Amino acid sequence: MADKPIWEQIGSGFVQHYYQQFDTDRVKLADLYVSLTRGLNTASKINTDASCLTWEGEGFQGKAAIMTKLNSLPFQTIQHIITAQDHHPTPDNCVMSMVMGQLKADQDQVMGFQQVFLLKNVDNKWVCTNDMFRLALHNFGA
Amino acid sequence: MGDKPIWEQIGSSFVQHYYHLFDTDRTQLGSIYIDASCLTWEGQQFQGKAAIVEKLSSLPFTKIGHSITAQDHQPTPDSCILSMVVGQLKADDDPIMGFHQSFILKNINDAWVCTNDMFRLALHNFS
Repeated sequence: MADKPIWEQIGSGFVQHYYQQFDTDRVKLADLYVSLTRGLNTASKINTDASCLTWEGEGFQGKAAIMTKLNSLPFQTIQHIITAQDHHPTPDNCVMSMVMGQLKADQDQVMGFQQVFLLKNVDNKWVCTNDMFRLALHNFGA
Repeated sequence: MGDKPIWEQIGSSFVQHYYHLFDTDRTQLGSIYIDASCLTWEGQQFQGKAAIVEKLSSLPFTKIGHSITAQDHQPTPDSCILSMVVGQLKADDDPIMGFHQSFILKNINDAWVCTNDMFRLALHNFS
């Protein structure tokens, strides 16, 4: 681990933490997202650090809206298994992570998924400013 | 198109342009990368326009066609655009395969360039 690039360590540490929380108690994922009102002052009308989530094409902005969505997902138990993950440093000192994996929700069939995160260091803490999730539902035809 | 958010317009135009170039003449993809760009291709890392184009040009197929299943775009805190693509591709006479690709686009000197590119074939081991 020690000889991996720092962005790999940050990205893979985040990914492990994220899916562990998701699979055990996804309410706690709130800690990873930035709210719409964080750091707002009278001069700024929007918080450009507020987290964005796109879940199966549906967009949510800010910690509160993201958590409402994640908490309302219609399954009781879920388990994620990571097939592959890649991490990059970005020009603005963020870490970009792409995950490909499989998940099993309740008694449904195992499904593939793809998820991308952008992590930013805000006040000495790595938070997720961007999150995109899609089930890997391909239409391969006949 | 006119009422879509600007990051959707930029992201989807980039995606269309990227796969069009890739499918017609991928040696031309150099124009969208800069020397600071990073590519991870099936877990293998490349940095800089020259190394990236060399990798893409040397991929072992002569014909390829991508079709996009879904794409998502978001603005980032640093005024970049994050794009995620789920799609299928057909290389030469191989069976159709699923793929995942993600990009970060940044506006440098009035042009949108790709600073980060990650590609994976959707090869899952469903047992």
